[in-house]
Amino acid sequence: MEPVLSINGISKSYGQIKALKNLSLSVPKGSVFGILGPNGSGKTTMMSIILDILKADSGDYNWFGKPNLPEERKRIGSLLETPNFYHYLSAVDNLKITQAISGRGHAADIDEALEIVKLTERKKSKFSAYSLGMKQRLAIGAALLGNPEVLLLDEPTNGLDPVGIAEIRDLIKLLAKKGITIIIASHLLDEVEKICSHVAILKRGTLLTSGPVDEVLSNEDIVEIASANMEQLKDCVIQMGGYLSIKEDNQRLQIHYPIGTANMEAINSYCFNKGVTLQLLLSKKKSLETKFFELTND
Amino acid sequence: MLDLLKIEWLKIKKYPAFWWMLVIVFLTYPGINIMFLNIYGQVTKGKEMANNIAKLLLGNPFAFPETWHTVAYFSSFFVLLPSILVIMLVTNEYNYKTHRQNIIDGWSRSQFITSKLMDVAIISFVVMIAYIAVAIGFGIYADSLSWNRWAEQLQYIPLFYLQTFAQLSIAFLLGYLVKKAFIALGIFLFYYLIVENILVGLMKWKKIELTRFLPFEISDGILVRPAFSGNFGMGAKAGYELALSLVSQQVILTIVLTSIIWLICYKVHKKRDIV
Repeated sequence: MEPVLSINGISKSYGQIKALKNLSLSVPKGSVFGILGPNGSGKTTMMSIILDILKADSGDYNWFGKPNLPEERKRIGSLLETPNFYHYLSAVDNLKITQAISGRGHAADIDEALEIVKLTERKKSKFSAYSLGMKQRLAIGAALLGNPEVLLLDEPTNGLDPVGIAEIRDLIKLLAKKGITIIIASHLLDEVEKICSHVAILKRGTLLTSGPVDEVLSNEDIVEIASANMEQLKDCVIQMGGYLSIKEDNQRLQIHYPIGTANMEAINSYCFNKGVTLQLLLSKKKSLETKFFELTND
Repeated sequence: MLDLLKIEWLKIKKYPAFWWMLVIVFLTYPGINIMFLNIYGQVTKGKEMANNIAKLLLGNPFAFPETWHTVAYFSSFFVLLPSILVIMLVTNEYNYKTHRQNIIDGWSRSQFITSKLMDVAIISFVVMIAYIAVAIGFGIYADSLSWNRWAEQLQYIPLFYLQTFAQLSIAFLLGYLVKKAFIALGIFLFYYLIVENILVGLMKWKKIELTRFLPFEISDGILVRPAFSGNFGMGAKAGYELALSLVSQQVILTIVLTSIIWLICYKVHKKRDIV
């Protein structure tokens, strides 16, 4: 399928600091694409470049298969870093400007966007009078205005309360169901894990891995077991063999197998035949958080 | 083009400083002209010989068609007021980071500069309307019988516009490059009020004939002193005639300088990181 966005070998330096090193990436249509990375890994720099805010030193990118053009950018609803609005204007007046520049939506859509982000009651208030969370909501509303084909959200849950975060998560799921492509940068790994279909992990400007979440996460099978006699259990597993590593924690054994080789039935019967009865037998997926630390820790 | 104009109007129309500027312009433009009208009135009032001579020399600078020239000249002293607004309008964009958002939302980089060029054009236009209103008002008030000559010397309207636009463009360039409102304003005021005047004085003293090429002097040369100034003192007539003869050159120079200013803005904005 034609990717919505493809980035080809983009590099960017700020003086001595290399913010992005030969980054290539492709975002499939209809995906929820999570971009992860520690602070200063180049997430925002990358997003700024594909929105033509920053100029790359080398490399290029395509939106909808076309080189960067303002017309293409109008099809993307974006929230980059901070909510940027005219302080002396109300929410409605600010969105009128967004609408006029992007050409997305009509006057009625402004009310709808404000309704989605729950700012209808305060829509006539000046932006400068808004709380941090409300400003963030307005920025999300502006990105949603007029049903863009792509949403690009940089830390969309910044400054939101827990209820707000949950609302945004539901909203993103809903939009993804409608077939909108969503590119989202976030530190909140469990959030990303809950909503993303694809993920890319960046560190110091280098792409460490990218692809469908399942593929990125499961490069090994994890089986968790426990029994009354842990020593005996451990010996048993070691005898059985075929594993990559064994971790012991919290009265459980975590056994890592090469992908596709963990056989729960075989483990169960092997242990039983050796006289060890299992109290617990679990197949576990690696959490995104574990994977993230694994990749980004030196 | 029209779209950009509409969007800029959305930004400006609810910006309080714009309306404050307008109020102040509509107060100060008549204000300074009233001052000079009063001086004129006092000099020419009496029945003494001196008063009559003054009347003869001065003519009536506020009657049609001289009012177009006189009011343009005196009003142009106050280009400072709209300059503050121009600087605010561009530095606001940096301050609110809307200069990024406008691009993110789908403007090209050159559209952003064009939109700012329109801001300057709109403000120059509004200031020009103020000038026209004041000039007509004074024309009628000073000598209502002169009304039938209103259509003479109308060239001062476009000249006033050009001068305002040129000088506001310099203000814009400063705001655009410096990014911080107060620093840009500081530099602008310091240069406009002090540095260039010192330079002019210095160059005249050293008899260097280049003063008319200084950034503000270039467009100041478009609106020369009112005609009556040529009736006073030795060599005044010659000076006035010379200044008048240079107007068309200064017009061309002004257009060139202003074009260069905007070209710089377009070029810089095309290349630079928008942070």
